[in-house]
Amino acid sequence: MRRVVITGMGVVSPVGNSTQATWQALLECRSGLGPITYFDASTFPTRIAGESKGFDFWEFWGKRRHPYQLPKHLSQTSKLAIHSACEAWDHSGLSSAKLDPERVGIYLGVGKGEGLGDLEFLGSFLPSCVKEDGQLDLTKFVGESLRRTDPTSEIEVEPGRVMVHLCEIFNARGPASTCLTACAAGAQAIGEALRMIREGEADVILTGGSHSMITPQSIMGFCLLGALSTDNDRPLQASRPFDKTRNGFVLSEGSALVIIEELEHAKRRGAEIYAEVAGYGCTSDSFRVTDPHPEGIGQALAMRRALDDARVELEAVDYINAHGTSTADNDETETIAIKRVFGDRAYKIPVSSTKSMTGHLIAAAGSLETIVCALSIRHGIVPPTINYQESDPVCDLDYVPNRPREVPVRVALTNSFGFGGQNTSLVVRAL
Amino acid sequence: MEAPTLMEKRRAVITGIGVISPIGNDYDTFCRSLETGVTGIDVIRSFDASCFPTRIAAEVKEFDPLKFVAKKKSLKLMGKNIQFAIAAAKLAVDHSGIRLDTMDPTSVGVIMGASIVNSNLFELAEAIRHSVDENGVFSLKKFGSEGKNHIFPLSLLRHLPNMVSCHISIAHNCQGINNTITTACAAGVQAMGEAFRCISRGDAEAILCGASDSRIDPLGMISYSLLGAVSTRNDDPKHASRPFDAKRDGFVVGEGSIVFVLENLAHARKRGATIYAEIVGYGSAGDSFRVTDPHKEGRGSIQSMRAALRDARLATTDIDYVAAHGTSTDLNDKMETRALKEVFGEGAAKIPASSIKSAIGHLGAACGAASAAAATMAVHRGILPPTLNYEFPDPDCDLDYVPNVARKADVHTALVNSFGFGGQNASLVVRRYTEQ
Repeated sequence: MRRVVITGMGVVSPVGNSTQATWQALLECRSGLGPITYFDASTFPTRIAGESKGFDFWEFWGKRRHPYQLPKHLSQTSKLAIHSACEAWDHSGLSSAKLDPERVGIYLGVGKGEGLGDLEFLGSFLPSCVKEDGQLDLTKFVGESLRRTDPTSEIEVEPGRVMVHLCEIFNARGPASTCLTACAAGAQAIGEALRMIREGEADVILTGGSHSMITPQSIMGFCLLGALSTDNDRPLQASRPFDKTRNGFVLSEGSALVIIEELEHAKRRGAEIYAEVAGYGCTSDSFRVTDPHPEGIGQALAMRRALDDARVELEAVDYINAHGTSTADNDETETIAIKRVFGDRAYKIPVSSTKSMTGHLIAAAGSLETIVCALSIRHGIVPPTINYQESDPVCDLDYVPNRPREVPVRVALTNSFGFGGQNTSLVVRAL
Repeated sequence: MEAPTLMEKRRAVITGIGVISPIGNDYDTFCRSLETGVTGIDVIRSFDASCFPTRIAAEVKEFDPLKFVAKKKSLKLMGKNIQFAIAAAKLAVDHSGIRLDTMDPTSVGVIMGASIVNSNLFELAEAIRHSVDENGVFSLKKFGSEGKNHIFPLSLLRHLPNMVSCHISIAHNCQGINNTITTACAAGVQAMGEAFRCISRGDAEAILCGASDSRIDPLGMISYSLLGAVSTRNDDPKHASRPFDAKRDGFVVGEGSIVFVLENLAHARKRGATIYAEIVGYGSAGDSFRVTDPHKEGRGSIQSMRAALRDARLATTDIDYVAAHGTSTDLNDKMETRALKEVFGEGAAKIPASSIKSAIGHLGAACGAASAAAATMAVHRGILPPTLNYEFPDPDCDLDYVPNVARKADVHTALVNSFGFGGQNASLVVRRYTEQ
């Protein structure tokens, strides 16, 4: 069977604008969460998020002097993705490699871009289209929408556009796809890309997730679902997975992309190999669109499938990077699911949630956490779950509380569970 | 499940098809309509579109979602795209006769193509109206305190594209692989292609796959108008979608959902299922769509067709029919014709290539799944659906588009094309099922 390895990584996250900076922050237990600055959230139930910081895309892009002409209305998701893709590409040394473009593919898990349907944009002119009786003057509204929207921006709303830009930038002419499975998307993209390389459809794939939902509409949407932490006065402590007082996740933005490559292909070109992506498991709870299955059956099966796929014994797992969102339901269910898979051994495996520091990057979460696993393997150290103060009887595993731990990691498992009961697990292994 | 080795890939066959479309709400009606040249395009009736630049569309008609959901309450969480998908999935399962309840639920998956779901203009307008400050200006402060009360609390869940797959998986207890592909017009074909891969490698015994899309709503129609690619032939809706015709002026927006039961051949044979077709090849490619750069047009389309043929281990001479993307826009139809000639060489003129978008409009993310249903009809029933409204030949489009009238033909293998907005391309090879 063809084996698949990570040879490049790129990250933009609330704790750093590169893989190295992000990793450093995680080891220093730094949270990237803070008050929302992108818009006036002062009356919103949740006023905190994990925004990227000091991220000037156009300055970065100008310096690269790439001949591909990007549209001027690029979505934030695209910007984050292109930035991290460039880092991953440079990191992998592919720029100087002799590549067959048709053997280079792309598989992304990304969100949509900003466009006509956004609350703030509509708010900027819709009130002038309301008649005295409170009804919308549709004729006026249609005219104003057409006049005010830049046609070149509307196409950038399509999630698939990110992939198209990356195909052009890196001359990737192989298979190209994009999925959007909520919080599981980034990990799912890597899993599907793993399959494609294994089966010989491509030798190199740029894959992972990118997402930005820090907009009034999305923040409010999550607030109305009751999913977000409302610890507005202490953003740095707001995300506290597995802690008894956890009260919701903190929404973040970012991108985490990896170059994965067929092992022999990587060896032949003398690439530095960070870790092997060894297994992928994907299941559906088929329970409710709002809540995970309380017994964690689907989540457990995703983990088992990933382990089977990697042909890894339960005893071999040294670290679990948990989905650990800091919501009451997820953290309890995930704990149950881990115990369901590992039995008594569950208590002996370090399980940490880096969302305690990064917040929840939604479609980019799973790929960021895959990178965390690869780096844990490389450096022999696992990042902590910060803000862990009060233990919860229903969350009784070893969550690596509050400080990183030096521990040799050969096999790591990462979980990504999404709204609607989407479960994806990946196994990352030392080569 | 034992994973098969590369040498013994399993075969993936279509054993059920569910269709909710502008020309019929089941597969049989859909096929009959295609055969008899029925068009589903008309003036928009679901909302007052009289002030829109484009006032025509291909809407789904006489659709009653209550026939397809267990609890009426659940409809509150479902936009039209989800309702169509739930219905098409149920029709597909019924059509196939598959007893999902007797199978290991973890061996059944769902992979759907979906699009972004537009905000509901009237709901947002109500929220915005309650978010204006004393100067009549929209204020986020006011939205956070008051406007928000006019938003349905679970509205976010209506707008996540993956909810299409999730609702189907809940309705049919499909606990296996679950994915949602969001590559615009290519999404349906990509979802089917990925389902085909999953079955081949042994990740599932059966997968409900296909796509759903519905953007015939105020914001959706404005978005489409902004893209500058929709027909404005408002006074003559029946003739508005005219792929490959010299007087084409853009596509017509359609809506609907097509779901297939794709099954491991051994499983299908064991239960004595009717097999409508087999999927034997899939390819995809991205390229950038630039109006200013005609040299590059069609590169991704050519790549995806070639990749699908290579995957199927077939020569171009093996293809008997092309279910074309044929949108009825100037650029697509020219480009696709050129790409077909590039891939098929001289043989291109001899291969019938028709576009059902002439009858059902452009179903967005679901268009490729609809074309795959038409290709299934071609290989199983031996009937090529026509390209309607073909009147004036375009010198740049000079292939055999099966003009205006359905044609009987012995189709063994068909190629399905889906070339999306903004450069997302996918192709699928569908073959008549034979034992060897």
